[in-house]
Amino acid sequence: MEIFDWIRLILGCSFMICGLVIFFTEIFGIFHFNYILNRMHAAAMGDTLGIASCMLGLIIFSGFNMTSLKLLLIVVFLWFASPVSSHVLARLEVATNENLEAHCTVYTDLEALETELSLQAASSEPWQPETAAHVATAAESTGTSAGEEENQNGGETS
Amino acid sequence: MVIIMIYEYIYITFLIILALMLFPCLIRAIRGPRIADRLMSVNMMGTLVMVMIAILALLLHEGYLVDVCLVYAMISFLAVVVLTKVYIGIYEEKRHASDHPDEEDKGGMSDGNF
Repeated sequence: MEIFDWIRLILGCSFMICGLVIFFTEIFGIFHFNYILNRMHAAAMGDTLGIASCMLGLIIFSGFNMTSLKLLLIVVFLWFASPVSSHVLARLEVATNENLEAHCTVYTDLEALETELSLQAASSEPWQPETAAHVATAAESTGTSAGEEENQNGGETS
Repeated sequence: MVIIMIYEYIYITFLIILALMLFPCLIRAIRGPRIADRLMSVNMMGTLVMVMIAILALLLHEGYLVDVCLVYAMISFLAVVVLTKVYIGIYEEKRHASDHPDEEDKGGMSDGNF
């Protein structure tokens, strides 16, 4: 029966090394990108996939008992909590940044984006956001998070 | 018996690697140009510390450390949400004060003023 112990060791180790590689990718990502809304993508990946892989390796190490059930519960909780915290951080950034359109294209209404995307679907060129038309309207309404892409979210913060 | 030794060495190696990974997160938390960068780095450090606590629970054969890890996850999530609300409230208050400089500050009337 010693062969099963070795198989369990190798399987758990491979899962944990995979999780560590994902954490390393996360840390590389937050230094590679140069704006918070880009960095958030890398950070959220480690919160879900990295910790799930590490916990799966630890569950294989631990065997079938109450501890592994609790480890699984941590993973399930983080899968619910991490998108919420990323969304809340993005709302903080959009609500407090004075010149958001220096970093990304801001659409004040979703209809402009939809017409632009439908026009793009007809043509065969890769999509490039048109900045000039929408930035002018977004510059007047900074601060109150009205320039957010989902514009129904703004204004309920106070 | 050799496999128990291997398990201990593996746990200690992973703990050292994770502890070394905490330093870049700390550098980003110090250097981060905006407040959302710092909150994101603190959230990342919380995730790494959660994995470290879970490894420590298996290394020391103490099951209750996993409960500590679960509570740590909940408090880390709560800290991000509450700090975000606080900073949005502070920003709204500052913007309101700069828009109406002649009004008296009431103090403690708005959400962000704790």
